Amino acid sequence: MDTEKIMRFTLKIWLRLFATALLPGAALAASFTAALDRDTLTLGENATLSLKFSDGQPQATPTPPAVAGLQFQYVGPSSSFSFINGSTSSSITYNYIIAPQRAGEFTIPAFSVVVGGQPLATAPLKLIVSKAGAPSAAAVNSGSEVAFLKLAFPKPKVFLGESAVGRLELYVRDDVSSLNGFQLTSAPTDGFSAGKTVELPNQRRRVQVGNRVYTVIPLAVPLTTVRTGALALGPFTATVVVVLPSQNQGGDPFFRQFFNQGEQRQVQLATETVGVESLPLPEQNKPANFTGAVGDFTMTATAGPTTVTAGDPVTVRVQISGRGSLDGVTLPAQEAWKNFKAYPPTAKLETADQFGFRGTKTFEQIISPLNNDVREIPPLSFSYFDPNDGQYHVLTQPATPLTVKAAGATPLPQIAATKAEEKPAQDILPIKENLGALMQNKIPLVAQPAFLAAQAMPVLAFLGAFIWRKRADNLANNPRLRRQRAVAALVTAGKSDLKKFAAENKPDEFFATLFRLLQEQLGERLDCPATAITENVVEENSILRGAPENLRKDLREQFQLCNQARYAPVRGTAELNSVAAQFEKLLGELQNLKS
Amino acid sequence: MKYWLAILIAVVCAGKILAADISADFAAANKLYAEGKFVEASSAYEKILSTGAQSPALLFNAGNAEFKTGHLGKAIAAYRQAELLAPRDAELRANLAFVRNQVQGATLRESSWQKWVSTLTLNEGAILTAAFFWAMLGLFAVRQIKPALAPKLRTATRLAVALTVFSGAILGLQAANHFTASVAIVTVADATARSGPFDDAQSVFSARDGAELKVLDRHDDWVQVANNAGKVGWLSRQQVEVLPGA
Repeated sequence: MDTEKIMRFTLKIWLRLFATALLPGAALAASFTAALDRDTLTLGENATLSLKFSDGQPQATPTPPAVAGLQFQYVGPSSSFSFINGSTSSSITYNYIIAPQRAGEFTIPAFSVVVGGQPLATAPLKLIVSKAGAPSAAAVNSGSEVAFLKLAFPKPKVFLGESAVGRLELYVRDDVSSLNGFQLTSAPTDGFSAGKTVELPNQRRRVQVGNRVYTVIPLAVPLTTVRTGALALGPFTATVVVVLPSQNQGGDPFFRQFFNQGEQRQVQLATETVGVESLPLPEQNKPANFTGAVGDFTMTATAGPTTVTAGDPVTVRVQISGRGSLDGVTLPAQEAWKNFKAYPPTAKLETADQFGFRGTKTFEQIISPLNNDVREIPPLSFSYFDPNDGQYHVLTQPATPLTVKAAGATPLPQIAATKAEEKPAQDILPIKENLGALMQNKIPLVAQPAFLAAQAMPVLAFLGAFIWRKRADNLANNPRLRRQRAVAALVTAGKSDLKKFAAENKPDEFFATLFRLLQEQLGERLDCPATAITENVVEENSILRGAPENLRKDLREQFQLCNQARYAPVRGTAELNSVAAQFEKLLGELQNLKS
Repeated sequence: MKYWLAILIAVVCAGKILAADISADFAAANKLYAEGKFVEASSAYEKILSTGAQSPALLFNAGNAEFKTGHLGKAIAAYRQAELLAPRDAELRANLAFVRNQVQGATLRESSWQKWVSTLTLNEGAILTAAFFWAMLGLFAVRQIKPALAPKLRTATRLAVALTVFSGAILGLQAANHFTASVAIVTVADATARSGPFDDAQSVFSARDGAELKVLDRHDDWVQVANNAGKVGWLSRQQVEVLPGA
């Protein structure tokens, strides 16, 4: 009995195992896990979040949670399927890149999804993001740093609006065989307006730091101060991928030099913070027309034409050249230009260095003398602050002699009317009183199907003319075709005549016309003169000899009728109509005759 | 027939009534501007523009009102839209140049070829090219119908072909500029361009009110732009007004 129980139990176990092997999917339950590829990282680095579903799949891609300071970017799914010892399993993993925006400790909350009606959840994840810091002097001197960054600013004190080039130096240890992917991840320049960071060409050098040799790659950061006070520059952070010799030094040295590809490593770099004091521009001795230009400048000015009529435009071209933040240099309002109507100037900047700190800014201003009492364009002045000597400077161009002729009668009252209120002050021109034509359709013509379709019309007209020309040329070069058409026209007219003569019972005219039509039609078909066609042609012409007997018989009859009519002309209208009908039938057969 | 005539008359009358209404609104907005009520004038011009009606004068005045209320970007946007309709208006160009000079920081400027092709509107370019094209094919057709006139029409035909090719090339440049070289004009005091189309993406650069930036791409409510230093970033559509190239 016990043996029988054991046998039954064993059989049950085997049956269950067999069923599990045949129906694996039915037996497995879905699972859901969330994992980070690392739980601590430096600001500037990224982590990868993987949401893995085993033996199941959600309806839609899970949406990452909103975590302040973390930015999620969906990368895509990956899936796997395995069949091991008769057991199958599948999984799908949704991957996200996490880019921290600040340092700190973050908690990524639990994910909850429903898979196949079954609610699943993950555990919350912790992520610690630390700030990248500059390596210590001891670490640098020991040579343990593969690469490091240094930031320098040329002056500890600058004036508001002063421009200077900050220097960022990337030190790379001599055993680094390759360097790529250098990317600034953070460049705080609070209180500065920063330009594009560029590598200084031909300035790489090698230096000894501690007991190692480093290659220094200098980068320039053009900076202009935009506020006063204590400013902090940096810390700049960056990442770079370096290739170091592989740690695996085994094998033959000869082959190693060819096959040792080295070890790639991503290095996080950071500089110290550099403090800069931004000083306000002194109020003492500040010129009245100072507009904020800081640097060291020169000025040239030209004006032309210098012989004009009152109200005519004169172009004043002013060139400010030198060193400083030329982008912010503006032409000051010229109070001395009271007798001129001044239009807003246009400016064009031509830089002489890669940072835009040296160059020439050219202003073009149109002015027009308001009356013919004007004798000169008054002296033009421009002032700037030079941070090197801490002084304001005023550049002045002498007056330009001007010959102004009296204007015509019409403009004078306008000038007189506006003279009192018009100033050469800088402002926009007034509004327009007239609304003008209103436009409703904002779609350009070139994008409107109707306009594009209309352009097909001249093309079709040209094609029509072209085809007509080809047909006309074809006809002119083909005498048989021409004759064919002429005979067709003649026969059409002749058939009408036949009906008319039949109706009027004029047998002589009827048969004369019939005979001529027979001659013309046969002459055209047989390609011989119409006058040469007689009844005999039916028997003599090779083409007609090969024609159907019915046609030949009808032709003979028609010719005989024509001949008989000369001698027995008495015919009635009914008979003539019958002959005309026979002739029309004969014509149809003749026109089908191959010539 | 009567039915269609009635519809035509109704459409024409409705158009006239609408134009009369807009003229009255325009005059009222001008009055507000003249009284120094620039904010109200700006709203009034905006209201007219929201009906879909446009005219160079309307956009010019709207630009003036925006400038007077301190909105450099909106003023530049209005002037640039007016410039699309009236590119040779000297007053418009003067005001646009003046407002551009008030913008702080670097900003994008049209290249010389863009300035050159934009002296004609896109529609003017299209009509001119179509006229030369029709004249050329008309002359071709006449030469087919009356070959005897071909020697007399030779110079005119060559001229028509040359003008068609030239104006067609200009139209091509204009269309390429209009449809591909879109410009984003910053309309807020300080816009921060970010590394991605997200509010919490890293900042790449900032642009001041009125800065004109080249549009590279669009994504939902974000516009990818490049400044004249070559920096690329994403700005929210709320921070800019996007206009087609000139």
